[in-house]
Amino acid sequence: MIAKVVCYALNGLDGVPVEVETDVNKGVPAYEMVGLPDTAVKESKERVRSALKNSGMLFPMNKITVNFAPADIRKEGASFDLAVAISLLKASEQLVGADLSDTVFLGELALNGDLRPVSGMLPILIAAKIRGFSKFVIPLANAKEARFLGGAEIYPARNLAAAVKHLLGIQPIPPLETCEFAVRKEKRSSADLQFVKGQPVARRALEIAVAGGHNLLLMGPPGTGKTMLARCLPTVMPDLAFDEALEITKIHSVAGVLDEEGIVSERPFRTPHHTATTVSMCGGGNRVVHPGEISLAHGGVLFLDELPEYKRTTLEALRQPLEDGVITVSRAGGTFTYPARFMLCASMNPCPCGNYGAANKTCSCTPAEIRRYRKKVSGPLLDRIDLQVEVDNVTYDDLTSAAMQESSAAVKQRVDAARKIQRNRFSGSGINTNSEMGERELHDYCRLSAEGDGILRAAFDRMNLSARARGRIVKVARTIADLDSSEEILPKHVYEAVSYRIYDKIG
Amino acid sequence: MTAEEKALIWLCSLSGLEYRDRVALLLAAKKDPLRLLEEWEKFSPLLIKTGKSGLYMKDRSARLRQADAFAEELERKGRFAITPMSGDYPRKEFADFSDPPLALFGEGNRSLMRTRKFCVVGSRITPPWAEKKGREIASALSERFTIVTGLAEGGDCAAIAGALPSGKLVCVLPTGLDNCYPAAHAALKAKIGRSGLLLSEYPPGEGAKRHSFRARNRILAGLSEGVLVVSAAERSGTLITANAAFDHDREVFALPHNVGASHGEGCNELIKRGARLTTEAEDVLSVYGFHAPRRDTAELSPQEAAVLNVLRESGELHVTAIAERAGIKIYEASAVLSSLEIKNLAVKSGGNQYSAV
Repeated sequence: MIAKVVCYALNGLDGVPVEVETDVNKGVPAYEMVGLPDTAVKESKERVRSALKNSGMLFPMNKITVNFAPADIRKEGASFDLAVAISLLKASEQLVGADLSDTVFLGELALNGDLRPVSGMLPILIAAKIRGFSKFVIPLANAKEARFLGGAEIYPARNLAAAVKHLLGIQPIPPLETCEFAVRKEKRSSADLQFVKGQPVARRALEIAVAGGHNLLLMGPPGTGKTMLARCLPTVMPDLAFDEALEITKIHSVAGVLDEEGIVSERPFRTPHHTATTVSMCGGGNRVVHPGEISLAHGGVLFLDELPEYKRTTLEALRQPLEDGVITVSRAGGTFTYPARFMLCASMNPCPCGNYGAANKTCSCTPAEIRRYRKKVSGPLLDRIDLQVEVDNVTYDDLTSAAMQESSAAVKQRVDAARKIQRNRFSGSGINTNSEMGERELHDYCRLSAEGDGILRAAFDRMNLSARARGRIVKVARTIADLDSSEEILPKHVYEAVSYRIYDKIG
Repeated sequence: MTAEEKALIWLCSLSGLEYRDRVALLLAAKKDPLRLLEEWEKFSPLLIKTGKSGLYMKDRSARLRQADAFAEELERKGRFAITPMSGDYPRKEFADFSDPPLALFGEGNRSLMRTRKFCVVGSRITPPWAEKKGREIASALSERFTIVTGLAEGGDCAAIAGALPSGKLVCVLPTGLDNCYPAAHAALKAKIGRSGLLLSEYPPGEGAKRHSFRARNRILAGLSEGVLVVSAAERSGTLITANAAFDHDREVFALPHNVGASHGEGCNELIKRGARLTTEAEDVLSVYGFHAPRRDTAELSPQEAAVLNVLRESGELHVTAIAERAGIKIYEASAVLSSLEIKNLAVKSGGNQYSAV
């Protein structure tokens, strides 16, 4: 008898349906698998054999053929185990009367019959639901991730025996209750702007950067709190919307880095070490392409600490995703596109010894050393970093002002207001923030008065700004004006925007 | 070009010889370079002591050919050599030097040799305010003087930036004309070669040596009527130029720096030793009987005026302190300071500190 069961394979961030057909025939006992299964899938033979035995079911001593269709896509991983086992039971007439149509089976089997979680559960469920499947049997450990999918019957099973009892109607599993998405109230990280001492200039830059979605470079001597400032970035960013959270969760699910909460409810903050390779940064793999750090940072912050220490090729690879918001990786196994719209925050020392420009310390580097250090970061990459600020080396006690230490929540309010203005401005154009503006939007929304244009002209002459920096400065000025709730870009906004291009001046 | 001059240029074109070797050879030949060229094999054994036996060159005709070829090559590349026999050799300037240059190879505007010259130098690590001031003063001085300086970063670059637009700029290199030190300034050097003048006492292919900077600095001082030191640490090569200027009765000027600022201790020391304290171009010009052109003052908004006042009253300040004293918000202060910077009235000096200039 032939049995047919549906399972799903991952293809990038998308799920592809795979039919598992099993035929049990009379003949010399044998167990064959066809239809381009990779090693992990072929090994399911032994897992299925043991799991069946240990769950009190019969492994038929006949000629068994398992086929995966369509045959032309590669099947990888262990997520087919449950589907193979169920189809085998069905074909050997141990599941008489069970209705398997419209049901998708996902899960890896342990030898004792337990179901292990698989990665990429959410993207698979979403894809299958779009294709019209309404019933799913999944491992219990994946339940948290799956409960955000509304409008489908999802049955989380602890082990193979439970799944079989459910299918036979002996002991039905209650379907998973859909869970409403809510932004986590209690933040996981303890970072808050409230605890950042001093740094008025960097704080302001951070606020502008988040408000307009600009990239940020923090420059300063070692040990002045650059990392701490960067860690505060997610705390002032707007809350995640459900569809945004779902998209981020899909990426994290495919990469297998989803935690027990089941959904990403906080904006990601990724800090790859500077030894990271281009592949780990951008995504890659042998046949299946795994998302890289920049995709994991999608919707959140990619923080590169000690920017010049990163390999140059790795940094250059960031340029295209920074512009496009997606990364397309091609490998022998296919071409995969992952979203990568992140906010880049980088930190660096002003020179190898770290004291260049410091008020109370002497820099021991030669100009050639400083030049070499700065040259590690290419001009085109720096051009994409709109805000470059110096982090102060002064201790808090040196500063006499008292009005500081605003909490992240207060800053976030202003950011949210500025974002709202931008949403209204760009509604329907596919643009969310000022930093994504193209030439057309620059022309439409960022008209400078004659005075403002004069300032920019003077700035170019006196400060040796690069010509490419102009558009960037105007965008930042637009964001500053938005924070000021000003319809027009006033000269003071342009002046302030110019003051955040320190690298152009000293580089 | 006389045969004698060509012979001297040939002597100066031999790479591998030091200044003292060339002088020793000339003295042995009774200061007649032509005789040296003709009867080289008689004098070259002098070099055995220095281990430069590769320079024997026994063949007389080969030597003559070499001298001709070098003179031709100079001309082909648009270069020239200034020797004591040339009319524009700074004879008077180097009169009291024990080691005047035997020849100066040049590239660019030779007529600058006949103008009045003033030297502006600074150490490679120069704070931004001093760089800005140096540029400003060099620019103002270039209306009356040709500015003489080196090619290094920091103070030298400030002088170059100030004087290059007017073209009245002489850079004396520590290397031959074909080389560039620091290498990063190759483009700048080419620009100076086009609109100003490059000078070097070394054969074109010579690289930089440790002692060539010291030797170059004596030429900087020698060519100029006075020397302005923009910045100098306690032990800085810039002080060699200033010392040479003191020794040969040139006026020495120096920008004052904060007490304890390491990159300015040399300047303050110079002022103690009698250098003129300089804050404006006027301070230099008045010594030579000139007057500086009036600077037209930019129009300032009330906020800008308030911030500028704060800066002028208290020197270098952190932006937080500036904002507090001027009674405005910190980000407003950043904007105002940025505008003052564009108007050339303030300068940012690292760590979000600003000072007035």
